Amino acid sequence: MSGSPGPPREARDIMESAPPFLLATNSVRDAVRTMYAGSTGADTGTEGVPGLVVLTAEGSLAGLVSQHDVLRAIVPSYMTMVDLSEFTWDEMLGEMALKMGVKTVAEVMNADVVSVTEDAPLMECVDLVVLHSLDCVPVLDAAGKVVGVVYVRDLYRAVAEALFPQEA
Amino acid sequence: MGTESAVAGGAVTMDAAFWVATVIFLVSYAFIISEKIHKTIVALVGASLVLVFKILEQGEAFHLEALGVDWNVIVLLVSMMLIVILMRPTGVFEYVAIKSARVGKGEPFRIMVVFAVVTAVMSAFLDNVTTVLLIAPVTLLIADALELDPVPFLISEAIASNIGGTATLIGDPPNIMIGSRAQLDFMQFIYNLTPIIIIIMVVFLGLMKLFFGRGLKVRPELKERVLRMNEREAIKDPVMLKKSLAVLAIVIVGFVLHGFLGYQPATVAMFGASLLLLLSGTKEPHHVLGEVEWPTIFFFIGLFILVGGIVKVGLISWLSTKLLTATGGNLLATTMVVGWFSAFASAFVDNIPYVATMIPLIIDMAHQLWPDLQGTALLHHPDLMPIWWSLALGACLGGNGTAIGASANVIVVGMSERAGKRITFLRFMLYGMPIMIITVAVAMLYIWIRYFVLGW
Repeated sequence: MSGSPGPPREARDIMESAPPFLLATNSVRDAVRTMYAGSTGADTGTEGVPGLVVLTAEGSLAGLVSQHDVLRAIVPSYMTMVDLSEFTWDEMLGEMALKMGVKTVAEVMNADVVSVTEDAPLMECVDLVVLHSLDCVPVLDAAGKVVGVVYVRDLYRAVAEALFPQEA
Repeated sequence: MGTESAVAGGAVTMDAAFWVATVIFLVSYAFIISEKIHKTIVALVGASLVLVFKILEQGEAFHLEALGVDWNVIVLLVSMMLIVILMRPTGVFEYVAIKSARVGKGEPFRIMVVFAVVTAVMSAFLDNVTTVLLIAPVTLLIADALELDPVPFLISEAIASNIGGTATLIGDPPNIMIGSRAQLDFMQFIYNLTPIIIIIMVVFLGLMKLFFGRGLKVRPELKERVLRMNEREAIKDPVMLKKSLAVLAIVIVGFVLHGFLGYQPATVAMFGASLLLLLSGTKEPHHVLGEVEWPTIFFFIGLFILVGGIVKVGLISWLSTKLLTATGGNLLATTMVVGWFSAFASAFVDNIPYVATMIPLIIDMAHQLWPDLQGTALLHHPDLMPIWWSLALGACLGGNGTAIGASANVIVVGMSERAGKRITFLRFMLYGMPIMIITVAVAMLYIWIRYFVLGW
C-alpha cells in the first residue's frame, strides 16, 4: 500500500484517533459502559461507539468487541441449540444481562482481528467491513500500535461526501 | 476358512495371524480408550489393517455376519437417525419438553421427575444422545426461569436416558447389537427388560428425591413464568408433524410385530425412514442425509471388522474358555460375572466396543457348553438367555457410573459447562456411581429371581 500513488484519502484522514479501548480482562459490563461513554474525535454525539478495540496488557491489538458481540453474549448457550425464542419471560433480558455481565471481554470478543495501516485506501476499509461484517476497523501504525479506529459511520460519511460534495 | 470352526470354540492355534490380530485389536482399543485420536479413525485404521494383513478376507468382513459388519445394526441406526432428523424441524421435541415442564407445575422436584420419565421413554425409542440434546436445552431454560441450579436436573436426565435406553431393542446400541446377533426380537426385549427398567426407574427417582429433594425451592412468582409458556408455539410444521407421527406409529407397530411377521428390525426402520423421507417432500436429500452421524456409523463398521479379526483367529474363543473355567461352568456365576463386569467396564470405557467384543465371546461360550446345538436353539437356549439380559443391563446401566461412561453423560457435562455450570468428574460420580451400583444390584437380583429361582 505505502509507496503507491494512493487515492486522495486514506484511513488516517477519517479515523477517530485515540479511541477508547478495553483490556481482554475487562468485563462485558465494562465494555457496555465504555461503549456508552465513548464518543470521540470530531463526533461528540451521545450515542457512544458501536465497537471497541481490545488491547493486551502490552498494548497490542487483541480483538474487537461490538454491540452485536455484547448482545450475543447475553443470549444463553441453550437458546442457540434449539429454537426456544417463544419461551422467554419479561425479565429475562435483564437477568441475563446481569448474569453475563461478569463474563470477560476475552470470552465474547472477536479475536480474529482485521486491521489496516494508516495509509490504507478507504476502499480497502469498506471492503473489509463488508467482507467480515465489522462495525469498525482498527488502524495500526508501522510499529503495529493502535492509533485509531475507522467506524462504519466514518466510512458512510465518506460515501455521502463523494455523492454530495457541495454539501460537505 | 469356515466360520463355524472360527466361532465353534475349538483348540486355538496361536500362530502369526493370532498375534497380528490380537495386537491390532489391543492397540486400537488402547487408542479408543485414550481418546488421543478420534475413535472412528482408530476403528477404521484397525479394520483396514485386519484386511491388509489378510486376517479377514474382504468378503468375510463385508458379507459374513459372524465375522464382519452387521448391516442390520448399521441400517437400523441410520434409519432411526433419519427419522429423528426429519422430525426435528417440526418442533415436536420442544413441544414435549415445554409441556413436561408445565405438567410439573413449576414444582422443581415434580419437573425433575417428569423430565426424567420423558427422557427415559424417549430414550427407549430414540438414540440417547439425541434425546438429551433435545431435553437439556429446555432444562437449562426452565432452570433459569425458576432460578434453580440446573446441574441436578441435567445429571438426572443423563442417567434417566441410559436407564430408559436399556428397556427396548432399539433404545441403546448395545441392545441393537445383542438383538441382532442373538436374534432376539423387539418383544423379547419388552418382556425381559422393560419390567425391570420400570422398577429401576422408580428406585432411581427415589434416590434422586434423597439426593436433591430438599434443596429445591422456588418462589411462587417464578412458577408463573413456566406456567405462562405455551408449548403449542413450539410446533413449526403441523402438517409434517402429522406425517411424522403417523410414520412413527407404523414403525413402532412394525417393531412390536417384526418377530411375528418375520422382518428384521432394520427392515422396519428402513421402511419408516424412507417413507418419511418421501412424505417430507424433500427435493434434494443431500442435507437430510448429511445430518446422519456418520462418524458413529463408521465407528461401528470399523469395530465389527476389528472384532471379526479376533473372532477368526481364536482370541475370543480362548477368552470364553477362560471365563468358563473361572466360573467353573456355573451359569449363575457366569451370568452375574457378565453383569457386574459389564457394568464396571462400561462405566469407564465405551460400552459399544465392549459389547461388540462380548457378543461373539458369549456365542463361543454357548458353542462350548452345547456343542450339538445350532442357530436359535443355541442362541436362545434357556440357560443362555439370562446372560444376554445380564450383558444388556450391565453394559447399559454401567454407563451411569461416571461422566464418561455414556455419550449422554458427556453431552450433558459439555452443555452444562457451556452454560457456565461445570460438572466435575467427581461430582457426576458422586451421584452416578451409587446409582449405578444400586441399579445394577437391583437388575442382578431380578435376573437371579426371574431366571434362576422362578425359572421364567
